[in-house]
Amino acid sequence: MPVSKQDQPKQRAVIVSGVRTPFVKAFAEFLPLDTIALGDAAVAALLKRTELPRREIDSIVWGGVILPGSAPNVAREIALDLGLPPSVEGMTCTRACASGLQAITLAVAAIERGEADVVIAGGSDSTSNAELKVPQKLVRTLGPMMMGPNKGKATPRDMLAVLSQLTPITDLLPRIPKIAERTTGEIMGESAEKMAVRNEISRQAQDEFAVRSHHRAAEAIASGRFRDEIAPVETPSGKWVHQDTIVRGDTSVEKLAKLRPVFSRDGSLTAGNSSPLTDGASAVLIMSEDKAKALGYTALARFASWSYVGCDPADQLLMGPALAMPQALARAGYELDDMDLVDMHEAFAAQVLSVLSMLASDNFARARLGRDKAVGEIDPAKLNIHGGSVALGHPFGATGARMVTTMANELHQSGKVTALIGICAAGGLGAGAVLENAGA
Amino acid sequence: MNDILLQLGNNPQARRLVKTLGLPLPIPQTLARAKSAIEARPLHDYEIAVGGHRGEGESALLEVLAKTLTKAGASPLVVGGVEIPRAFRDHGDAWGRPPRGLLLDALPDELRLDAMVFDATQITDAAGLRSLYEFFHPLVRSLVKCGRVVLLARPPALAPSPEAAGAQAAVEGFCRSLAKELGKRGSTANLIHVDEEAEPLIEGPLRFLLSTRSAFISGQPIHVSARTVDDEALADWSPAQVRSLEGKVALVTGAARGIGKATAKLLADEGAHVVCLDRPADDELLSAVAREIDGTPLLVDVSDPEAPARIAQTLREDHGGVDIVVHNAGVTRDKTLARMKPEQWDLTVAINLDAVVRINDALLADDGPLLDDGRVIVLSSIAGIAGNLGQTNYSATKAGVIGYVRRLADELDGRGVTVNAIAPGFIETRLTAAIPVMIREVGRRLSSLGQGGLPRDIGDAITFLATPAAQGLTANVVRVCGQSFVGA
Repeated sequence: MPVSKQDQPKQRAVIVSGVRTPFVKAFAEFLPLDTIALGDAAVAALLKRTELPRREIDSIVWGGVILPGSAPNVAREIALDLGLPPSVEGMTCTRACASGLQAITLAVAAIERGEADVVIAGGSDSTSNAELKVPQKLVRTLGPMMMGPNKGKATPRDMLAVLSQLTPITDLLPRIPKIAERTTGEIMGESAEKMAVRNEISRQAQDEFAVRSHHRAAEAIASGRFRDEIAPVETPSGKWVHQDTIVRGDTSVEKLAKLRPVFSRDGSLTAGNSSPLTDGASAVLIMSEDKAKALGYTALARFASWSYVGCDPADQLLMGPALAMPQALARAGYELDDMDLVDMHEAFAAQVLSVLSMLASDNFARARLGRDKAVGEIDPAKLNIHGGSVALGHPFGATGARMVTTMANELHQSGKVTALIGICAAGGLGAGAVLENAGA
Repeated sequence: MNDILLQLGNNPQARRLVKTLGLPLPIPQTLARAKSAIEARPLHDYEIAVGGHRGEGESALLEVLAKTLTKAGASPLVVGGVEIPRAFRDHGDAWGRPPRGLLLDALPDELRLDAMVFDATQITDAAGLRSLYEFFHPLVRSLVKCGRVVLLARPPALAPSPEAAGAQAAVEGFCRSLAKELGKRGSTANLIHVDEEAEPLIEGPLRFLLSTRSAFISGQPIHVSARTVDDEALADWSPAQVRSLEGKVALVTGAARGIGKATAKLLADEGAHVVCLDRPADDELLSAVAREIDGTPLLVDVSDPEAPARIAQTLREDHGGVDIVVHNAGVTRDKTLARMKPEQWDLTVAINLDAVVRINDALLADDGPLLDDGRVIVLSSIAGIAGNLGQTNYSATKAGVIGYVRRLADELDGRGVTVNAIAPGFIETRLTAAIPVMIREVGRRLSSLGQGGLPRDIGDAITFLATPAAQGLTANVVRVCGQSFVGA
C-alpha cells in the first residue's frame, strides 16, 4: 500500500526537535493570546532552543481548527510576526483534531519529495478566542444592500423589506460556537457518550483511565521529563506560565467518581474523564536527514507511515483510530506487537477505551478490517506513558505535534525503536502514524 | 392527493376533537417514509426485539439475523433463553451493537420497540405455535407507531411432513391477522418464507421490510430462494447496499407521471441511468423527468408493433444493454362487460399484457440487450388478484401478468435474472383521482393502514427488487397495498 511517494522518497525526513507552550485551560491565563500569538510563542521557543539559522528555514506548515477569520493562514502570520526572512513561505491546514499531525505529515511529504529541506510544522488553537459568528441570515439579508451592485441606493421601502426579513430577532444574535457535528448536530461529548454505551465502557473504567493519565502526566512533569518539550510563556500582563495547568497529580478514582455526568443525565462521561477546552501551541522542527547532519543536529525519529481515514459521523464518531492505526501499521509493514510505544489522543477516556476494545476484537477485525485476527491488545504499560489529552489538555491544532514531540523524544532517550500514534477527529475522521527511532 | 382524514389526523387539535366527540372516523396514522437514498444503516439506533421458537439445535437463521440487524445499525434485544446466542455477541461486537437480553416475564417499564423479528422456522407442530403467542402477546403494546414486525418461516410446501406444513402455514395466518391489528398505528407485519440454504439472501429483504421503505406493505408473505444464485456466490454473499445501482441501466415504461416517475427518480437515486419511456404525446412531461434525473427520454408507444424492436435496439446500441426493466405503463378502460366496447377491451389488453410480453421477447432474444443478473419487474394490481366491478379487461391483464411472471422466472434462473410482479393497491395517482368520490373513499379506507399509498411506495418496492440485495426474490408477487381488504 503506497503512501503518496513515500515508497521511493528522494530523501528521508527526520524529526529534530519539538517545543510547545504550556497547555492551559481555556478562558484563563492565555485569554489575551490568540492562536497566532500562541503559535509565535511556540515557534520562537523552538528557534531559540535549536539555535537554527533562520536562513535555513524553507517554510512553516501549521494546523488549526478555530482559525481567525481575518487571518486564517496562521503559518504565514507566525513567520511575519517573528521577522523570519520573507522567503519563509507558510500554509495552514485544518483536519479537526488531527490538524497538527496533518501539518507534520505534509512537511515530511514535502521534504521527502525533495521540495524542501527544513520545515517547521505544528499547530495551535485558542478556544478562548473563538470568534462569535454573525448568523448567515443577517449577512445574506443586509449584505446585498451594503455591498451589492446597488449599494447606497436603497429606498426606505427596500429597507422595510429587509427589516421584515430580519424577524425574529433571536435568529440574528451572534451565536456562541460549540463543537457540534455539522451533519448530525450532535456535540462531541454526546457522540462519545453513545460510544461508551455501545462498546460497554463503564464509568469505573473511564475514571481509572483518566486517573492514570493524570498520574503519568504529573510524574513526567515532576521528573523533568517535559522540561525539554515545554517553553514558558510570558502573557501580555507580564505573568509567566511555566507549566501545564490542567494536570492533577493528586486526583483519584474516588474523587472522579463524585463528578456528575455532563452530556447525558444517566451518562458516564464527566469533566474528569473528558479532555477539557484548552489553549496552547506546539511546534516541531523537521529536516532532511542530510541537512540535519550538515547542520549538526541529532535526528530523533522518522515517519515509517501514516494513514488518514473517514467513517460515518452518525455511527461511531470517534472510532477513526481503530481503522487508521491498523492501516498505518500495514503500510509500514508492522504488526501491533512490533510497537514499543503507543500514543493515543484522549478526546475522552471512553473513546480511547472503545478504540482499544475494537483493536482487540476478532469480530471487529473480520467485519471492518478484512483481517482474520484482531489487531491486538495494547499493553497499558506502553500506552500514553506520559499521560494524554485528558490530563494535559487538548488545544485542537496543537495535540498532534505534542504527541509527535513526546514520542520522538521518548524513542531517542529510551533507545526504543517504534511508536504508534492514533488520533480521532471531528467529522468521523481518524489518523494513525508509525514513528521509528532515527538512530536505531 | 387530497385525503381529508389524513390531514385531520395531522392536526393535533382536530385529532383531539374527533376523539372527544367520539366521531366514528377512523383517523389513519401518517406513515413514516424514507427521505433519502438507501442508507448504509437503514435501522440506525432501532431497538429490535428478536425471538424464535427453539427446536432441536440452533436455527440456521441466527447468523444472518445477527449480522443483518447489527450491521444495519439496530440494537438487538434477544428474548428468552438462558444465554444470548453467540452470533449476536460476535456481530454485536463487530458493529458496536451489543445484544441485550429481554425477559418476557420481567419487561422494563419504558420498553419502546421499533421492530420485532420472530424466527418461526423451527416450529414443527401445532403446540409449537404457542411461542408466537408467548413472544408477541407481552411485547405488542411496546411497538412504536409505524413500527415493524417481520416473521420468518419455511415454505409450507417444502415441509418434511403434513403436520409441519400445517404449522408453518399457520404462521402466515397469524401474520396477516397481526398486520390488521397493527395497521391503525401505521405499523406493518410481514412474513419471509425462506428456503433451506437460502438463508444468507434474507439480509436484503429483512433490511427492506424493517425500514421505512416498506411503509405501505403489510400482511404479505415474501418468498426467498437461492434459485438464481450459484453455491460459490452464496457462500460469500455480501452485495452492495448503498448506491448499488451505479453503472446499471434501467428502463421504466410509463415514466412521465405517477408511479413510473417516482420509480425513475428512486432508481436514479441509487445510481442507475434511467431510460424513461412514455408515449410521444407526453413528450414535455417525460423530458422534464429525464432532465431532472439525468436520464434519457425515449418516446415510444408500447402498443406500437415496431416498439419492441426499437426499444431493444436503443438499449443495445446507445446504452450497451439493460440491467433493470420496469413494465409500468398501463391503462384502465372501465365499463361493465355488458357495456364495454371492443376497442376498450383491445387497448387494455394490448398495453397491459401484450406489450409486456412482446417487449420482453425482444429484450430476451439471443442478441437481446437484457444483461445477466438483470431484473424484470412488471406492474400487476390487486384487481388482478381479487377482481373489480367494471374491470373485466383490466383484471384479466393484471392476472395475466402474474401467471406470466411466475413462468418467465423459471426460464431465467440460470442467468441470474429475477422476475417479479408488484401488485399495487389504492395509490394516489391520476388513475385513482378519476374514480367517483364515494368509491374512491371506500377504496382508500378498506385496508389495514386505512389510507391510500403514494407513488413512491410502489417505487420503493420496485427499487428494492432492482437492487443486488434482492437477488433471493424471484417469481414473487409483492402486494403494496397497505393490506387492502380486497383479495387479501
